[in-house]
Amino acid sequence: MNTSEVAELERELLQNEDLDEDDNEEKLTAQDVLEIIEKAWLNEKFSPEILPHKTEYVDCMLEQIKYMESNISFLQSTDIQVDIYKFELERIRYIITSYLRCRLRKIELYAFYVLEQETTRNSEDRYLSDSELKFAVEYIQNLDIHFDSILKKMPWNLQTLEDPNKRIKPNMDSYVFLRANKSVSNVIIKDVFENREEEVELLENSQHLLPYSSVVMYIKDKSVQLL
Amino acid sequence: MDPSEIEFIAEKSNIEIIPKFNLDGVIHLISGDIGPFRAGLPLIVPLWLALNLRQRNKCRILTPDWMDVDKLEEKKEEEKNSKFFTKMPHEHYLEVTQLLLKVANDDINRADEIRTLIKDLWDMRISKLRSSVNTFVNSGGIHASLDHLTQLEINSIRPLLPDALNMLQSLNQDSDSETEDGDSTQNTTRNRNTTDSFLSSSFHSSS
Repeated sequence: MNTSEVAELERELLQNEDLDEDDNEEKLTAQDVLEIIEKAWLNEKFSPEILPHKTEYVDCMLEQIKYMESNISFLQSTDIQVDIYKFELERIRYIITSYLRCRLRKIELYAFYVLEQETTRNSEDRYLSDSELKFAVEYIQNLDIHFDSILKKMPWNLQTLEDPNKRIKPNMDSYVFLRANKSVSNVIIKDVFENREEEVELLENSQHLLPYSSVVMYIKDKSVQLL
Repeated sequence: MDPSEIEFIAEKSNIEIIPKFNLDGVIHLISGDIGPFRAGLPLIVPLWLALNLRQRNKCRILTPDWMDVDKLEEKKEEEKNSKFFTKMPHEHYLEVTQLLLKVANDDINRADEIRTLIKDLWDMRISKLRSSVNTFVNSGGIHASLDHLTQLEINSIRPLLPDALNMLQSLNQDSDSETEDGDSTQNTTRNRNTTDSFLSSSFHSSS
């Protein structure tokens, strides 16, 4: 990633912060939002690449938690309800932090690849949230500074590190477990061994082991759920 | 994924309890409303709450319908006679059983028999799973159907099966590219040799 691309990303980042986010507000209950986050959490855990962010849901849930906490503070601390509410909030917070950590781990691991992919997407269908994007950009800058400071001490012919050497890519063909939320026909599996293709049909609620690349679009449109 | 996280997910499933306290009104949890609690009247709550209340001795947990010696005996027989995996009475049968027996052993009828039966079921299924994984990998298949396997069972083969398949995949790709472009491999070895010799010579000169 060269500096002009980084600058471009940073500029877009600033623009995004100005945009209002209320365009995709549907009538969802807190329970629905929680379910969406739980599914996103599992998908993120098991997919090799980073998936589109769910910031609007995560933010909504964090708001909800804050609201609940302020309500709890009005109750007497001896009230059994307080423990029940707090217990649930802890569980939800665990899911959210685990989800976000999982994404950060992937960003760090595939930093160059992730940012390169992000530059090809326009601002509406970004995979990273604004703060994740900022994190990724800064991470790469720091990594570059770090590499530069070390490479200076190397023999002259080893002082440059080619970009591809720093780039780790997720294995998009790696195998994943999944369950079909609805029937999906004509899923194409490429057989890299023999250079042929196989077609399968996923019936509703059936479970499968498939290469990630065969089902990537079905994960994004929620027809299948990773397990 | 850590098995404790699957236990965490299993704790979301519902269970019937008999509370030992009164609480007017409904509790509006984010994951849904529960209540009201009336001492002696059964109601359905998430497992995590049931276990928590039970630990504080504020409720009694009712044995779930499927956690029944006769039914499990039947299930075990069915699993034994079937070549394929049969549908389990609960998506998290092992986790729920273990949690209940740990926290509310006294509330479960014939707890020890249940424990043995569930363990037998699990062992039977896992050994079936291992042998089918072996057949699958040897057959060189690229797609496997895993109906009726529970999340914990799938997780038990996670470190092994997908990794093994990925490894096979990359080994096959490597052997392909080696036969196709043997020239380029030679080139890289030659390059490496020159760097090595350069390095050694520069070391000599500096010392």
